Parts: sequence; structure tokens; C-alpha cells
Amino acid sequence: MKRKITFGVVLGIILVTVFAVICLLPLVYMIAVSFTDSESLYIRFKDLRLNFSNYTYAIVKRDFGTALKNSIITVIGSCLLVDVVSAMAAYGFEKKPVPHKEGLFQGYLATMMIPGQVTLIPMFVMINRAGLTNTYAALILPMVGAFGILLMRQFMVAVPDELLEAAEIDGCGEMRRFLTIVIPLVQPAMITLTIFTFNATWNNFLWPLIINTDPRMRVLPVTMSTLASNSTTNYGMVMAGATLTFVFPFILYIFLQKQFVEGIALGGVKG
Amino acid sequence: MTKAVRPRMSPRRRRQALIGAGYIAPSFILMAIFNVTPIFLSFYYSFTKYNMATAPQWVGLDNYARLFTNRVLSEALQNTVRYVLITVPLQTVLALIIAVFIAENMRNRYGSLMRSVIFIPVIVSLIASATVWDIMYQPKGGIINQLLNFFGFASVNFLGKKASALPSVAAVAIWKNTGYYMVIYYAGVMNVPADVKEAAIVDGTTPLQRFWYITLPILRPITYMIVTLGIIGSFQVFDLVYKMTGGGPGRSTYTVAYVIYTFAFQDKNYGYASAVAICLLLVILLIHMVQTVFFKEKDV
Repeated sequence: MKRKITFGVVLGIILVTVFAVICLLPLVYMIAVSFTDSESLYIRFKDLRLNFSNYTYAIVKRDFGTALKNSIITVIGSCLLVDVVSAMAAYGFEKKPVPHKEGLFQGYLATMMIPGQVTLIPMFVMINRAGLTNTYAALILPMVGAFGILLMRQFMVAVPDELLEAAEIDGCGEMRRFLTIVIPLVQPAMITLTIFTFNATWNNFLWPLIINTDPRMRVLPVTMSTLASNSTTNYGMVMAGATLTFVFPFILYIFLQKQFVEGIALGGVKG
Repeated sequence: MTKAVRPRMSPRRRRQALIGAGYIAPSFILMAIFNVTPIFLSFYYSFTKYNMATAPQWVGLDNYARLFTNRVLSEALQNTVRYVLITVPLQTVLALIIAVFIAENMRNRYGSLMRSVIFIPVIVSLIASATVWDIMYQPKGGIINQLLNFFGFASVNFLGKKASALPSVAAVAIWKNTGYYMVIYYAGVMNVPADVKEAAIVDGTTPLQRFWYITLPILRPITYMIVTLGIIGSFQVFDLVYKMTGGGPGRSTYTVAYVIYTFAFQDKNYGYASAVAICLLLVILLIHMVQTVFFKEKDV
């Protein structure tokens, strides 16, 4: 296909580029300030060098080490729990003759319309009553939701019944069928779900803010929020904290970009 | 799908049903505890006076009656609506234009690079975004004011002035959300049948006509969805406000979600806060219903 390059197209390409730069600039700025010595915001290029003192300060003195550890534990726990529970549920819903399952599934889907603020207060009360404040369980258990089950079920449809029946005839037990046939076939969905859960957990703020108030149980965004950002602040250190919060999802994004984007497009199109 | 409660199930089928129930059970327990019970409890609390130290005390519709006379809440509602009206149109239009333009004119490596870059803010946590933008907005030395000064303008106290605080917070949301909706739109544009476009090109239409009369109508269901998601998301704005303004200056950036937070976790007024949350729920369900109705009427 040959197409004429018009003035409008060139202008459009420039504008898209400008927008992309605007998207990137705050993050470049964040990283640049995190590596400067100066406590002032006037970045001089001669101050820019690979200087990790802000990072060591943030990690050692301002509890970012603890927060990082808590965030990582919470994220790993959430991803494992959500993946396992969602895959199991999707398999049960799609492949087993459970009575009333479609009604139950609709019930699950309905919960997706409920805003977080509505469940927040009762959950806070319940977790308090159960004595689970300041635990990882308080952060991990509520991450299971209808979205993951819906996503997994959409992929579960494509698992052929004949394959499962053939395996059964060959004497392959229930557990083995699930683990060795179903799970490998829905792996792409599990990767997408893991990415979603990772981001949701890693960036979760309000819930960890209210439920884990012990400084030793804070996660990254909460620790981040405790740092003031007025003129007396050590900006470099604050930006180092922000960069630490950003860098893990970013690495994941670089390696799994396709799944990130496909997952969103899928979730979006299915609504 | 078999809605199977038959008079008699074969033993094998019954066994399969039991096994299936076993697979569903863990999700059922967690969903029941964390997603369903809280909804009912929230309704219950909204009719009580409750501070967690003593048992909830039934007060009937008192909390709801007080909502209508509460100035903090009505200001918060106005701010939230203003915030929605700034973020949703801008992020939707930007996402649409960028997605369509890249799909039509930049289907190459550069275009895919641009898409990747524009998506990056989506993965930044709201608190980190708020922190970085807060520093960028600083009246003394923040990079935005440095730029303004460089071009000869006076510094602006973005977050410190009542008039500019809310739009400044909204700008961060737009920065963060556009990439997300752009990705959804892009997937939609790629589904527009190529022959329709080519026929239109042969007919001598201008790109603007094709956008208006072909692309836009085809994308309409996606637009409904994106606007709905956008309104619902913006209606619940909390993290940005919490970190960037704390509701201030004055109460100029109090939002509904922020009010729920302060009523509940600062004033320990859980019953009253629950009443606000229930109202938020009703608004959001209403938005869902409006979308469903529009969607059905125009596209089925």
C-alpha cells in the first residue's frame, strides 16, 4: 500500500510523540531527582550521576526495606491465591454439572459492580473482629474476586471436553486431569491474571492504609504516603521511594507487555 | 449450559457435581466473606450509630436524613461531579484520537513504541504518581513552574489555590488513564473491517469524514463502556486526593470517597460513613443501568 504523507499526518505524528513524551517525562524526572545529591529541585546535569545514597537512605532510615519486603510477600501470596482459587472455580463452573452454577456465577459477576468504598467499612470491622489486623492474610485474602474467575472461565471454554473424557477413560484421575491437562491449557490466562493481581496488589493503597497500621506491616504505597512532600523534604529520597515503587511493575511490563495489553483489551471488550 | 436439578441424577453425574462443588468452594467461601457479606453489613450499618467500641445502635433513617443537610457532603458531591466532568471527556477523547491515529497512520514500529510509552503511566501506582506530580507542581522549584518561569510566566501554586487544585489533581488522572483507554480503543479500531474503509476511500471521502461516519459509529459500544468505566472510576477518586491535597485547600478537593474515609476512619462514625457509601453504590448502579439501557437500544 502506498500512501501520501500529508502535512496532517506529520503533524499528527508529532502530536502523538509529544503526548508520549508527556507520559514519560514525570517518570524520567522522578528517576533523575532520585539520583541527585541536592535537596533542591533545581536539577543541574552535573549533579546527575549514579548515586544510590537516596536509595540506601530510603531503605535503611525510612523503612522502605520493610515496605518492600511486605509488598513482595503480599504480592506473591495474592498472585498464588488468586490464580489457584480462580482456576479451580472456573473449572468447576465450566466443566462440572453443578446445580444452580449459572445463578451463582451471575451472583459473582454482580459483585463486580460494587465499589470498594461500600465493602470497606464492614471488611474493616470483620478483619478487626477476627484479630487479623497487621497480618499478611488481611492484605491477601480479599484479593480474590469475580474478575479473575470470569477471565479464567473465558479460557476454560476452549478446553475440549473430549480431551478430558479421553483422559478419564485412560484412567487419569480427577486431580491429575486438572493439573496436567487443564492448567497447561489455560496458562496464558493465568499469566494475564497474575499480571492483574500483581498490579492490583502492588498498588493497593486504601485497604492496607487502614488495616495494617503497624509500621512494620506497611506496604510500599502506604510508606510512600507517609513522606511529606513540602519544601523541607529531602526530594531525592522521596523520589527514590517512588522509583522503588515503580520499578517492579515496570520490569514486569517490559517482559510481559503483550499479556498486559491483551489482558486489558480482553477485559475491556468483555466489559 | 445445563441447569440441572433433575429428579434423579445418575451416580456418576452426582459425583461430578460434588467434585465440581469442591472446585468452586474456595472461591465461594472467600467471595461470601469478602464480597457479599460486607454489602449487607454496609446496608445494616447505614441504619445505625456505630463506632466499633460499642455495638451498633439502630437509628433508622437518621443517617440518611442527615446526609441532605450536610454541607461537607454536598460540597464533596459537587467536587466529585466536577472532577468527573474534567477527567472523563478529556481522557476519552484523547484515548480515542490517539488510538485511531496510530491505527491508521502509524502501524509500524514507531507507532507500537508510542503505544507502549503512552501505556506506561497506567502501571505507576496512584500514590507514586501523586508523589511525583506533587513535587512537579511545587510552587518553589517544581519543574512545571521552572518551565513557566523559563518562558516568562509567573509561578502558579497549582495545589494551593482553590480554583486550580481540583483540575491539577484531574490532570494527573488523565495522564495516568489515557493509555489504558487507548489500548481498549486500539483493539476496537483493529476490528473495523478493512473493506469498509477501502470502499470509503474509493468513494473519495476525506479522513475526517471516514472518522466521523465510519470509525466513530463502529466504536460506539466501546465508547459507552469506556465512558461508564471512566465515570465509575473517577467517582471513586481517593488516592490522588489523599496524597496531593488532603481534601484542601479548604474543602475544595473533598470528594465522596474521601468523605467516606474521613467520616469512618478519622471520626469513627462508621454508621454515617456507611450511609454515604450506600448512596455512592446507588449512584454507581444507576450509571451501570443507564449504560445497559443505551447499549441495548442502539446496538442490538
